[in-house]
Amino acid sequence: MTTNASPTRKVLRYSVKPRLVHALLASSFLTLLLTGLTLLWSPLSPLAAGGLMRHLHYVGAVLFMAVPIVYLMVDRPAAKELLWDSFHYDRDDWTWLKHVYAYFLGHCEGMPPQGRLNAGQKLHHAGVVIFSASIVISGLVMWFGKGMLNANGLAVAAIIHNLSMLILTVLLIGHLYFTFVYDALAGMVQGYIPEAEARLEHAKWVESLPQKEPWLVEEN
Amino acid sequence: MTTYAFLLDLGRCIGCQACVAACKTGNELSPGVQYIHISEQTRGVFPALQSSIKNHRCYHCADAACVAVCPTGALYKEDGLTRLDASQCSGCAYCVDACPFNVPQLVNGRSNKCDGCAEVVKAGGQPWCVKTCPSNALMYGERETIMAEAHRRAEALRVRYPHAQVYGETQLGGLGVVMVLPDQPEQLDLPANPQIPAVLNTWQNVVQPASVGLLGFSLAFTGLAAIIARRNHKQEVAHLHVQNSAEETAAVQPDHANET
Amino acid sequence: MARTKLQISRRNFLKSSLLSAAALSISSCSAQPLATVLNQNGLRLPWFRTGEIKTTYNYCDMCPWRCGIVVKSVDGQIYKVDGNPADPKSRGMLCARGQAGPSFVYDPDRLRAPMIRTGARGEGKFKEVTWAEALDYTAEKLKITGQAFGPEAVAVFGHTSGDFWFTDYFAQAWGTPNAAKPSSSLCTSPREEAAKLTYGLPIGGHEPVDWDAINCIVLIGSHIGEDARNTVMQDFANAWARGAKVIVVDPRFSNVAAKADYWLPIKPGTDTALLLAWLNVLINEERYDKAYVADWTTGLEALAAHVAPFTPEWAAEITDLPAESIRATARLMADNLPQAAIIPGRHVTWYGNDTQRMRAIYMINALLGAYGREGGIYFSKSPYIEAYPHPPFAVTGSSGGCSAEPGQESAELPLGPTGKARADGARTNFLRGATAMQELIPPMISGEPYPIKALIVYGVNLLNSIPNPQRTIEALKKLDFVLAVDVLPQEHVAWADVVFPEATALERYDELWVVAHKTPYIAMREPAIEPLYDTKPAWWMVRELGLRLGMEPYFRWETAEEYLDARLLSIGSSLDKMRQTNGVIVQQGKPYFEDFAGESPFPTASGKIELYSDELASAGFEPMPTYEPVAEPPAGYFRLLYGRHPVHTFAKTQNTPLLNELYPENELWLNEDEAGRQGITNGQYVWLENQDGARSGPIKVKATQRIRSDAVYMVHGFGQNAPELSRANGQGASDTKLQTTYALDPISGGAGMRVNFVRIVKEV
Repeated sequence: MTTNASPTRKVLRYSVKPRLVHALLASSFLTLLLTGLTLLWSPLSPLAAGGLMRHLHYVGAVLFMAVPIVYLMVDRPAAKELLWDSFHYDRDDWTWLKHVYAYFLGHCEGMPPQGRLNAGQKLHHAGVVIFSASIVISGLVMWFGKGMLNANGLAVAAIIHNLSMLILTVLLIGHLYFTFVYDALAGMVQGYIPEAEARLEHAKWVESLPQKEPWLVEEN
Repeated sequence: MTTYAFLLDLGRCIGCQACVAACKTGNELSPGVQYIHISEQTRGVFPALQSSIKNHRCYHCADAACVAVCPTGALYKEDGLTRLDASQCSGCAYCVDACPFNVPQLVNGRSNKCDGCAEVVKAGGQPWCVKTCPSNALMYGERETIMAEAHRRAEALRVRYPHAQVYGETQLGGLGVVMVLPDQPEQLDLPANPQIPAVLNTWQNVVQPASVGLLGFSLAFTGLAAIIARRNHKQEVAHLHVQNSAEETAAVQPDHANET
Repeated sequence: MARTKLQISRRNFLKSSLLSAAALSISSCSAQPLATVLNQNGLRLPWFRTGEIKTTYNYCDMCPWRCGIVVKSVDGQIYKVDGNPADPKSRGMLCARGQAGPSFVYDPDRLRAPMIRTGARGEGKFKEVTWAEALDYTAEKLKITGQAFGPEAVAVFGHTSGDFWFTDYFAQAWGTPNAAKPSSSLCTSPREEAAKLTYGLPIGGHEPVDWDAINCIVLIGSHIGEDARNTVMQDFANAWARGAKVIVVDPRFSNVAAKADYWLPIKPGTDTALLLAWLNVLINEERYDKAYVADWTTGLEALAAHVAPFTPEWAAEITDLPAESIRATARLMADNLPQAAIIPGRHVTWYGNDTQRMRAIYMINALLGAYGREGGIYFSKSPYIEAYPHPPFAVTGSSGGCSAEPGQESAELPLGPTGKARADGARTNFLRGATAMQELIPPMISGEPYPIKALIVYGVNLLNSIPNPQRTIEALKKLDFVLAVDVLPQEHVAWADVVFPEATALERYDELWVVAHKTPYIAMREPAIEPLYDTKPAWWMVRELGLRLGMEPYFRWETAEEYLDARLLSIGSSLDKMRQTNGVIVQQGKPYFEDFAGESPFPTASGKIELYSDELASAGFEPMPTYEPVAEPPAGYFRLLYGRHPVHTFAKTQNTPLLNELYPENELWLNEDEAGRQGITNGQYVWLENQDGARSGPIKVKATQRIRSDAVYMVHGFGQNAPELSRANGQGASDTKLQTTYALDPISGGAGMRVNFVRIVKEV
């Protein structure tokens, strides 16, 4: 019987390329968050004065904007799949979302079976995509818009920029929360996760995986 | 509360730049940095000419855009003037973008502008520019006194210039630099009715409280929930393993049987 | 000691500059103290809270007006200069240049040590030597020159407020009548001589306009505000705000013209025609102070007959002004008499006919009854104080200058110890007046009327102030010995054999500033800090030279304090007592007729204002001014006009860091329509070539409606060719280098400089 996982069997959650892209996204985002914070939060402003943080912020911005391009370049199918998935929800997803509080509190049993991404992850990714777009556009306006826009325009851009970041940061907190609760870090660092746990959270996806290496490995 | 103001009499100003130099030396401004910029404004065609002096500086708006957008509180209002505590400044340059008069500039990565000679005035002196002005085009004092003097001067000036007027009484909630203009503001490159976009006020009224509230709530809520949720998940995983090993035991035995 | 201090401050500076790349970029070229590098805004303590503030009294040396100032320093570092509230000139306020006093002190380009020339003259190669070596060498050279050619063969040129020591004290003790100041024949000589010829009194350094009550102000070429004399700006602003009428005659719409009730954009060179027409209107329409004129003037009838043909219509043709404006402005003056006057102005050496023009001005003031009347022109009085009790000098001084006490020039030309009078051609080439600096150049070249073999230049920017600098260079080549005393390595310093680096005014004691004024007063100068580098004050230099030249009797005093206290003792004061009255002693004046108890205040032959001058008539000159046309610009050329910028003084301050920042290069004011016709755009750089082919530039064009189309204008003092001046060198164009010719005023010896023409060269 193959439906049941062995404790020594692991499934490939993330291959090297998405992991690298994630690392790029994470590092650039944290750079932007921290440098941005020094610009906005007075206890940190001595760090920012002088312009170093400002310039690091520009560097972070370039890396951040490069993330989708890099992803498309190194793993086009995965990138497209991620985007497609994030904006497509089936009946199970909706049911899942109705019971999201249970998942939030650590319960997977009884939740509808989920694909590679559960509905929460889809929503998260969709939010990241949308607010990354708004933060990039508003950021570019602030960076290059001087002289073209009046004070009002620049202020609106700044407000959009900061509210976008606020939402992205809240999303990040949720992201870290679920990573912690569901021990998900290993998947993003090493790539493989125990099959049993994968089956618990993403049954439909595990079912769809080819039953061979590298998607499925035995570890002793 | 007493508020203070400058009087800037553009009728009297003859463009000698004494104020510029006094400001630069008294405030120890770096080379290339000026809080006051003097330039000539000419209208008409030879020989029917009119000219006045533009005295560009921080006008210390009551509704100060720079203060409204400053995320760190480095820019703030005090005694009716717009002060700057550069040690609090992060150099985000929102003030540079927001000022309707294009006044604050970044110097060495920090905002930089006239602070009304805060230290000098606190020590009992007059702002450097006021103290030195040979044309007596500058005064500093309680806003009411300054306003009365401005009206007195504008009235006297109307004998020569029929459009002479006071500027800054109401503009932007009242400027901390009350100007006596020899002509209509538009003629002197000043907006008749400058506006601070309402959106600027959302910075301190909406964005900052929302950020603090939402982030604080998220962290506190997820922090608490994490303890419970992780325990629940661990239990589920443990349960899963127990189930699996039971099923495995059951499934494996026939295989062994086949082998033997 | 001073040098060590500087190095310490430079180290601090470097440390602090690590904080920012922007600050680092200036560290390489700057000995700027820490103080001027970082900003306040709460980043650190403002200078006035870093330590105990030391206050010293001084009079400003950033322009010749010399406002009383209070100098604030902390820990041996000067931070701030403010106007001295006790001083009748500054009244607590100060212009941009005065504010830049500390910037002048801390200019890293300053001369630092005495030097003796090693290369060819003009090459600018020197070796640094000790003061003893420099003084011994100089004394030896002067001694040789004096023995071979007489002490008269040494010329002394001096300017700025230490000029007393070299140009007056040393020159007179040594025995040369050839001591000259640019403030005479390059500036005010016509004004002074015309005043003495007309009403017997000089104008003096402080123009005695009774601003407090004046109701009609007439400015001819004076550009108050751009010419930023502190007191005049204050007085003008107050009078204007009070409602006084203002008439400005200027080919250029100056900042003060913009405040005028009448701006008369006169054709350059035709001012006398306008003045004659004004006289015509005042007399024809009987709009003058009849009682005053009857009591206090002579020659009205002759004048009336003289000006009868000079109607406004006649002048309109010449001056390019509407006759009605001429008439209206004359009536405006008359309506306000006697609180109306034409302001004497300052730099009036324009066209060579300048004394006559100034006389016409004074005649109008006389018809308006302005002299000695409240709101007119007051009688200024010199403060009472004795000279230092030195033995009689070898020669009487006649250098004049706006700093000289009035009436120094005697009728007889003073003779030097070997019987030679001034070599400047006084009494032969021109009638009278203070020594004409530019006329001392030809004797250096030709040896006529007798050779001048040595030159001491104290603070005169020789090649950027005397017209025809090519001729000056020729003279410098011929001289046996040139000593340059200066704070900065100015252009001419490269031509010196010996260079004495001088301590600035804020680093030294100096002669008292004794001012003829409505309220006569005396101001003191004391050092705020020790002299930087190896620099010394002028009084020390002349004393050391004097002791080496056998002039001990003149130098019994050992320090400046001793000298000053000896003088102050004559009025029962001392430096210490002066400090208690904020560095100023103010005395009682006699400004108005009432103060003369019926006696004539006019020390002329007639005891009256002489509208008709017997003195001029007997010397073969027109007894009353006539209009003589001056040469017109050739086709394609503009008349070259020049003037002042409020943040610069002469050719002295262009390198001062603060002032250089505020106005780093001069601009060529060119009529906008004319620029369009020539295909020249605003901001374009062009070269200028004068009628003799001399060139200067490049200079940025300011295409503006504010100037007539037959003249161009630039601020004087730029376009210096002085590589050691890191900021000023080569910036803008030099009006002086384009003044290859000048018109000698045959009465006063003034050098009229507005007789040069330039054309614009777009490509070189």
